[in-house]
Amino acid sequence: MPIDLRLDARRFNRLALLATLVGFGLLLVAFAGTIGSALGNQRATQAVRHTYQVIDELDALSLAVERVETAVRGYLLAPSPIRAETRRRNEKLIRPGLDRLQAMTADNPRQKETLTRLRAMIEDQLATNDEIMSQAETNRLDSARLEFVERVKIKQIDQIRALEQSVRNEEVRLLNARQSLEGSRRTQISIILAATGILLLLVGAATYWLVRRYTKDLTATRDRLHLLNTDLEAAVAERTSDLQRANDEIQRFAYIVSHDLRSPLVNVMGFTAELEAANKAIGSLLDRAESEAPQLITPEAQYAREDLPEAIGFIRSSTQKMDRLINAILTLSRQGRRVLTPEHLPMNMVINDLLTTLATQIEDKRIDVHVQDGLPDLQHDRLAIEQLFQNLIENATKYLRPGVPGAIAVRGRQSGKRAIFEIEDNGRGVDPNDHERIFELFRRSGTQDQRGEGIGLAHVRALAYRLGGTVTIRSQLNEGSTFIVDLPMTYATEGTDQ
Amino acid sequence: MNAQQPVSIVMIEDDEGHARLIEKNIRRAGISNDLKHFLNGTDALDYLFNSPEGPFHNGPALVLLDLNLPDMSGTDILSRIKGDERLHRIPVVVLTTTDDKVEIQRCYDLGCNVYITKPVNYESFADAIRQLGLFLSVIQVPSNAD
Repeated sequence: MPIDLRLDARRFNRLALLATLVGFGLLLVAFAGTIGSALGNQRATQAVRHTYQVIDELDALSLAVERVETAVRGYLLAPSPIRAETRRRNEKLIRPGLDRLQAMTADNPRQKETLTRLRAMIEDQLATNDEIMSQAETNRLDSARLEFVERVKIKQIDQIRALEQSVRNEEVRLLNARQSLEGSRRTQISIILAATGILLLLVGAATYWLVRRYTKDLTATRDRLHLLNTDLEAAVAERTSDLQRANDEIQRFAYIVSHDLRSPLVNVMGFTAELEAANKAIGSLLDRAESEAPQLITPEAQYAREDLPEAIGFIRSSTQKMDRLINAILTLSRQGRRVLTPEHLPMNMVINDLLTTLATQIEDKRIDVHVQDGLPDLQHDRLAIEQLFQNLIENATKYLRPGVPGAIAVRGRQSGKRAIFEIEDNGRGVDPNDHERIFELFRRSGTQDQRGEGIGLAHVRALAYRLGGTVTIRSQLNEGSTFIVDLPMTYATEGTDQ
Repeated sequence: MNAQQPVSIVMIEDDEGHARLIEKNIRRAGISNDLKHFLNGTDALDYLFNSPEGPFHNGPALVLLDLNLPDMSGTDILSRIKGDERLHRIPVVVLTTTDDKVEIQRCYDLGCNVYITKPVNYESFADAIRQLGLFLSVIQVPSNAD
């Protein structure tokens, strides 16, 4: 079920991303469309302006043609130099005007054709004007008038006017068409803009919805994670307190047992001493009997005199050993009950102080001790750390290889949040089979030529565990040993952070 | 010591062997005072408070007290003695195997006069008891009869 959910979520995510991308793509298209429409609109406006220019030009031409006509007619009625002048001036405007009109309407074949006809007509008109005017100016006014009447008869000017009107009509038609095109362009832009706006709204809403959904999912996930964490913490706390209780129980048990074992031991030792004293008295009595009345001494009495001290000696040494063992258990249980108070420990100083307390042994055996500079400093209980390292260094000084001058190296380095120390010696080493055994209480390894109860390493391991660390050995028989102590840099209070 | 009324020693000790060794060594130190031995707390309290010869009705006394008793804790007896109007001046010597710091502190808080840990080593034990005997022979015990 959770897997399906996750797959669905993944597909949904992909789809949502795609939809958002498509939305933004559409927006881009709409934007491009708007720009295109705006450009088209601009073109339509330009075309309209062009049409107006053509009409203006046509008006100017037709005005000039009319003026020339009027001037010629006026001159024929009442010859005056002003009229001749007017005619010449306006005639000069006609040809350039025609040129411009033809250039402006070169793209329109209908206008082109009409204008060609108009031009021919106007050229003819101008030619007859020249003739009429030259006759009139050389005092042949009547002949000129006749010719003019002739021209009026064939209604040449009317034809010119009609052609002009046809050009104008064509332009007006074009204008209307262009204006309607411009209008439709505007409508188009409005529609595209409206569509873009709606699209923008949609994409925005979709994006908002997606973000909302993601945020909601995230919040839900975070809440669930928090809940899980809390549960986990509660479970860990419960287990820790169980362990703590079990540990306390063991400590108490060890304490009570070792304690109650001492009581009968006091009696055993006490009465053994009494027995010894009594035996001495009997012994001296037997001595006296032997010297004064040897016949009283039976072989049994003789045995008793020899056996009793031996028996008492064994009882004594055994009870003493038992006492040491009980004391060891008591010490360990007490160590376990001691409250640890972490403090800053400059380890080079701590190790050097320990070496000072062991100086006599080190000097007597001529052991070379080398402590690496810059050992990582710890935040731990001073006594616990001192006992741990003292035991390890003392062991290194104790178990030398015969005939080999002792050499001990103390090294340390930091690895993440942990400090790893190594105490290396060139001593007799430990058989790999015994690597675990030596850490057990009352267990020892190798030749038993050194005093000890087999407590030191058990103590070291108990201390290391209690400080949240471990201690292990790397060794081969006759090749020296390296004890590796792995501790957290900072002591985490028991039961709170483990 | 009070010439008219010799101090009687009350020993409350559940281990008979210990009691015997303690008595032997006290005698060896030359103390010949009357010594009453009780194996449990109930009998001892009965003697201390109710017996006509007991310290409540008669004569000064000194208590040697072991803390591990079968029927009650030695500290209960200590607090009963030290909480009583008539008996609280009786010197109490706690003589026990417990050398737990907390326990020692508690005994002194309750008003114990001397706390001695029984050494396992017999020579030291005998030595300690003999010295206790010497100590007993010189200390003055208040009389609560008047």
